[in-house]
Amino acid sequence: MWVDLIITLVKIFFILAITVGFFAPVLTWVERKQSALMQDRIGANRADIMGFTALGLFHIIADALKMFTKEDFIPDGANKVLHTLSPIIALVPALVTFAVVPFGGQYTLFDKEVNLVISDLDVGLLFVFAIASLATYGYVIAGWSSNNNWSLLGSMRTASQMISYEVTMGLTIIGVLMVYGTMKLTEIGAAQEDFLRWGFFLQPLGFFMFLTASIAENKRIPFDAPEAESELVAGYFTEYSGLKFGMFFMAEFVEMVTIGAIMTILFFGAWHIPFLTTATLLSWFDFLGTTGSNLVVMLIHVGVFFAKVVFFIYLQMIIRWTLPRFRYDQIMKLGWKILLPLSLANIFVTGLVILALN
Amino acid sequence: MAYYVNRRSEMTWWEKSYLPEIIKGMWLTSRRFFHNLFGFIPFFLGTAKDRRIMTVYYPEEQVQYPIAYRGRPVLAQNEDGHPACVACGLCEIACPAYCIHIEPGHNTGKQNQYERWPDVFNIDYAICIFCGNCEEACPEEAIFMSDDCEISMLDRKKMLYTKEQLLTPVADLQKRIEFTRNMYAKWNY
Repeated sequence: MWVDLIITLVKIFFILAITVGFFAPVLTWVERKQSALMQDRIGANRADIMGFTALGLFHIIADALKMFTKEDFIPDGANKVLHTLSPIIALVPALVTFAVVPFGGQYTLFDKEVNLVISDLDVGLLFVFAIASLATYGYVIAGWSSNNNWSLLGSMRTASQMISYEVTMGLTIIGVLMVYGTMKLTEIGAAQEDFLRWGFFLQPLGFFMFLTASIAENKRIPFDAPEAESELVAGYFTEYSGLKFGMFFMAEFVEMVTIGAIMTILFFGAWHIPFLTTATLLSWFDFLGTTGSNLVVMLIHVGVFFAKVVFFIYLQMIIRWTLPRFRYDQIMKLGWKILLPLSLANIFVTGLVILALN
Repeated sequence: MAYYVNRRSEMTWWEKSYLPEIIKGMWLTSRRFFHNLFGFIPFFLGTAKDRRIMTVYYPEEQVQYPIAYRGRPVLAQNEDGHPACVACGLCEIACPAYCIHIEPGHNTGKQNQYERWPDVFNIDYAICIFCGNCEEACPEEAIFMSDDCEISMLDRKKMLYTKEQLLTPVADLQKRIEFTRNMYAKWNY
């Protein structure tokens, strides 16, 4: 009982540490540096401690200090309660999603089965989408409660965009569900041990549609019409400053990690290395004993999983700095006229193939 | 002649499907990214003299400007410590921005003993447009464009440089002197 609790707490701490403590701040730095390198610039490198700049890594600390010490500004006529509440509503779903995301398989440590997922829900995939949809409320309330026309426009765009693309996302997922026959994310991950049964090969169209839809969900360029700097100042978070703005900012980066993790699990073989089954890996480290070999394999798997997540984050960043912003009508056209029929066709074809193979 | 842009260009199916074109764009950006990312490494390992990337960490790292570069104009100072300038005022006239102010001094009165020098020679860099006309007009090889372009200050009045600030030993300007001789080919050496 106590052991289970401690294991769960350790897992929660690990997830929080790696997303909020590591990925979110470091990604702000990566985003700057990567875009700079891509455009033949140098990027942030001025913040220094005793003349030591560490490639601009101290900008993370400078940013955090700035956000903590800035005035928390609530405009006249804004609804104070909702204005304060909305960044929290936006950030929490991004973090809560990680509760069902497995970052490794099952391992036997000290005669105890350790499952590297905080809570192994039967409806894990559904849970992810249910929670992710909640984030929409945060963004809509943010724009609505600010008493600002641009914010309201931004939040309206957010709502319509997120709802449009959630349809595609949900329908794309049905293809994956049909292939693996389960909603448990751990089982979907475990089913991809064989390299040729990765979701990417079974659902190639689904992969691209899911990628598109999830970037649209995250409201990053090319789908950043909700915050379009050149049109709406900053969209729904125009009236936010200090730590509240920081929470919106962090929500975006945590969501990037979430998307990367979900895509890794659904389409890119979760924690598995291509052509290397867990049993083979375990046999390699047999000389360390059961616990030792399991521990080594666990570390390898977690490393592989996060390497894949980093790859997907890199992909999202490359896309962000390559493509120009879609116009609003183009976003709607892409969502409803192209992606929706395609995802329906995807379900149909998947069903046909499964029927033919059985 | 009017030039019309064809706004109704038909996209092929290949282009309409977006994906190949997006991948092409991503290939371009990621190629730049990796080129710039790994361009440092041979430089830091010491196997290559130059980094293979062109971007310079400016204040810490500076590039050698080409000799034809026109930085701030300076006065040449001969080996004996006097300015090469004879205060003829040609640069003052040639200057399109009127940034040069010269007050000639008296010479000793005895013939051929000394050239005369300017008492006051001011150049206001806040007005100077770095055209190089003064250098071209000068018959005495006295005023040259240096390669110094870092003359920004917080106070505009400080940008008025006096004679003492402008004087630069001839030895430092040798390359530019050679260049101007070739360039303007006025002197019959």
